[in-house]
Amino acid sequence: MTKLVQTIDLITNFYTYEGVVRALDKVNLTIEHGTTFGLVGESGCGKSVTVRSLLRIIQAPGKVEDGEVWFFQNAQQDTEGIELLSQNEKYMQALRGDSISMIFQEPNAALNPIMSIGDQVSESFLFHRKQEMCRQISDTLYSPDCQIFLPVKKLLQPLYRLAAKNTGAWLLKFLSRVPVFKYWDRLLKREALRRSVDIIAKLGISNAEEIVKSYPHNLSGGMKQRIVIAIALACHPVLLIADEATSNLDVTIQAQILELLRELRQKEISSVLLITHDLGVVAETCDRVGVMYAGQLCEVANVKDLFGNPKHPYTQALLHSVPRLSQKGPLQSIEGSVPNLVAPPRGCRFHPRCPHCKEICRKSFPMLVEIGNHHFVACYLWTNLSRD
Amino acid sequence: MLPFIIRRFFFLIFVLFGVSVLIFGILMTFSPERRAAAYVTTPQQAKDIPKIIKQFGLDDPFYHQYFRWIKEVAKGNLGWSLVAARPVGEAFWRYFPVTLEMNLFAAPIVIFFGIWLGSVSGIHRDTWVDHSTRIFAIIGWSLPTFLFALILLMVFYGYFQAFSPGVLSDELTLFIIDNPDKFTPYTGMYTIDGILNGRLDIALDGLHHLVLPIITYVIVVVALNMRVMRSGIIEELSKDYVLTARAKGADNKTVNFKHARRNALLPVVTVAGQLVALSMEGSVSVEVVYNRHGIGWWLAESATQLDMPVLMCICLFMGVVFVITNLILDIMYAVIDPRIRLN
Amino acid sequence: MATNKFHPRWREFKFTLHRIFRNPSAIIGFMLLFCFMAVAMLAPVIAPPKNQFNPYMMPHKGYSPTPKPPSEQNIFGTTSGQYDIFYGAVWGTRTAFKIGLFVVLIAGIVGISLGAIAGYYGGLLDEILMRLIDIMWAIPTLVLAMAIVVAFGRGLDKIMIALALVQWRWYVRVIRSEILTLRDQDFVHAAKLMGVSDFIIITRHILPNAIYPVLIMASMDMGSMVITAAFLSFVGLGAPKGYADWGQMVALARNYIVGPVDDPLRFWYTIVIPGACIILFVLAWNLIGDALRDAFDPKLRRR
Repeated sequence: MTKLVQTIDLITNFYTYEGVVRALDKVNLTIEHGTTFGLVGESGCGKSVTVRSLLRIIQAPGKVEDGEVWFFQNAQQDTEGIELLSQNEKYMQALRGDSISMIFQEPNAALNPIMSIGDQVSESFLFHRKQEMCRQISDTLYSPDCQIFLPVKKLLQPLYRLAAKNTGAWLLKFLSRVPVFKYWDRLLKREALRRSVDIIAKLGISNAEEIVKSYPHNLSGGMKQRIVIAIALACHPVLLIADEATSNLDVTIQAQILELLRELRQKEISSVLLITHDLGVVAETCDRVGVMYAGQLCEVANVKDLFGNPKHPYTQALLHSVPRLSQKGPLQSIEGSVPNLVAPPRGCRFHPRCPHCKEICRKSFPMLVEIGNHHFVACYLWTNLSRD
Repeated sequence: MLPFIIRRFFFLIFVLFGVSVLIFGILMTFSPERRAAAYVTTPQQAKDIPKIIKQFGLDDPFYHQYFRWIKEVAKGNLGWSLVAARPVGEAFWRYFPVTLEMNLFAAPIVIFFGIWLGSVSGIHRDTWVDHSTRIFAIIGWSLPTFLFALILLMVFYGYFQAFSPGVLSDELTLFIIDNPDKFTPYTGMYTIDGILNGRLDIALDGLHHLVLPIITYVIVVVALNMRVMRSGIIEELSKDYVLTARAKGADNKTVNFKHARRNALLPVVTVAGQLVALSMEGSVSVEVVYNRHGIGWWLAESATQLDMPVLMCICLFMGVVFVITNLILDIMYAVIDPRIRLN
Repeated sequence: MATNKFHPRWREFKFTLHRIFRNPSAIIGFMLLFCFMAVAMLAPVIAPPKNQFNPYMMPHKGYSPTPKPPSEQNIFGTTSGQYDIFYGAVWGTRTAFKIGLFVVLIAGIVGISLGAIAGYYGGLLDEILMRLIDIMWAIPTLVLAMAIVVAFGRGLDKIMIALALVQWRWYVRVIRSEILTLRDQDFVHAAKLMGVSDFIIITRHILPNAIYPVLIMASMDMGSMVITAAFLSFVGLGAPKGYADWGQMVALARNYIVGPVDDPLRFWYTIVIPGACIILFVLAWNLIGDALRDAFDPKLRRR
């Protein structure tokens, strides 16, 4: 297994009126090429914040305070990794949606209500595949069987040749502001739309041609989620982050979307990071699982190990609180409540609710250590090492 | 689309009927003698007031008088304006172009500045740009139009002697009066008529007289537009689709302008109706202070001289403006927002 | 964590207060307002009236139309007709408060109660009220107020009544739309199921949740109503000549905005002093309204 994304001591804070919310406290997460990684935890434990910090799309008043995010695009690992937090915004824009893309929890809110589906999916191509598309169009324009009215063709040929070389040429920028001439990119948009139809059709939507002309309010929730997935998949990302992508859907639709994600994992994309609070979904679809509690990562393991042999007291409690068919006696719940992250407990944030709480748990946080078979756990039951 | 317009047409009739009953009712609180004065056109007729009351049935019950009035209006007779010393209908078309001219010039500026300042302020929330635009807006909002107009007049007319009140300089006004054959008032707006008649000096002079009114107007009115735009942008930027766009790799410009701003325009369109009402009120103050003889000036003059047919006419006019602007806004709304269907 | 032991409504209130007073504009607004309130209350001390029975009439020595500059006797000078500007500014503060409070209170009470009843019960009453408001909506505030003042006759009291008669429509609209969304929420259904009377539901459960936008509007209205009243006075529909009213004082100075050729700004004080009073008074209320909006608007209050 080779690393794809690795976060080192990631810290993210939110500066609110009530004080500084310490949403992430030194999260160390590694996602490998070719796996489906599940990130689980209660609501508000920092799952979404982790991935948003990773993509640097945290919204104000949040701020990534410290840490590193390494990205290894190449599966062979023959190139150096790239530290994302130190890159400029332009680099991140080129990365988002191209190498790493993301789908969101609420399909009803995730699409712009006043833009057509086609336009929204096309945007992905226009952001990341402009040059390639221009080259393609330029080739078509120069080929003898091109059916465009001759003067128009003569005018467009040099433009697209220029665009294929340099999409940001000042001439093109200038033309985009001149009436009539600003339509020079019609062919480009048409090509992007054609690709959008292709990608939507690939996701098992039969009438893709009509769908691209409609608006989000015309579609059902499941359909919208497929469109969101289409947007994310447009440029064949290496990593697809699904942030609670199925939580707000009907169970049947949920199953369809999960099935779709699994198929895509085999054919289209290398890795999937699935964020969810549904342990059933994790058991079904993931290879590896990370468990988060109150902004800290407790345990990471292969899915079978985690469900069969949980080590961290929080993981154990979490698994016990899931109803099973073979359940005997009352369902267990975890004593106490999730801490307020403005003033989190010192040391291990789970200690006030932990049945195995020791003196040291109140003072410092344990190191995330490997206890065999790629099973990592951060608990003083398994290590004596402290993090700080 | 057509059924929608037909429905709007019925709404127009309803509003006009309601407005006329309302205003007629308000004006009926006058004594018949005072209302009779409205029919007096020359001082000699003043002693005939009792006769006028009889003749026009001014002490009849409300509905009698109302229907008699409606009949007259249907014939095109809106009454006699004391202030203008001519029939109300005719006077209306004399004053209306002056008001229209000012609003035609000011509206694009108000809309453009409001949307621009509001977006800038919302996008750069809590920065010095945001704070200064907000301070500007709140001071503009607190300035009474007439007072601000007076102060501008004091400084720019009195001290700098750069601009003067009125619609046109005296020489040019005299020229137009003396040479009716050389200057045809096609529209009644000097800036446009000047160009149509090939008299650029008249057009420029008209524009010169518009500068102060438009500044007054824009600074006072722009705040509403700006504030709605600002909170719209802030709200839209916190929505999930903005995150989707960012995750797609959109740059800030695309996110702010292509995604957030288009959505934030919807509430701006909603308050545009309020903006029209505000601009009507603004016209009154501006015209009174700058002595521009438009609808607003006519209204204020008529109110002080108890010229009731004029009040009635202007209120009906406001009703028409209200319904038509709402019709236009609804259509605009449907154009921007695909979720709205007009039927 | 520590705030958890307080009642939620108290915590919310504290949070809101914190938000209001974190905003510098609120601090300036309240300070200005405090000054105006002090002047209004201490008016008889600051500017002792000459005529005990009618303190609102500005004292004047002589009838000369030319204003006189500030002097020992008249520290802000005198305006056209020799009315003392200082006296007018001080007692005009009372007039402004009178106008604002009267209009906002009457319009607010009428608008809130009608809007609450119409919004909560719906039906025929709602229908009639909304159609009436549709009609009134077609005419801008200033124009409708003018028509009413004309019908009732001139005078400051008539202006106040006219503005109240016009402005209530805003409160109905705002409170009604708030109530329409609240009416179908679970806590109202829960209260209904428990057999709480409609009156208690409206006053205890719905209004406290719907009142914020009304407070914001009331605060803004305090300013805008004073502007409108001042303009009506300025046009000549207001108080009799010599009444301590800022709008009237501006009107008196109207012919003196431009002085003689050699000194065009000679009579600046006649317009700038009452003008500054109006602007600062309105500014105070608008600053407070703006701070309230920032503090209450759920869309903007995320931080």
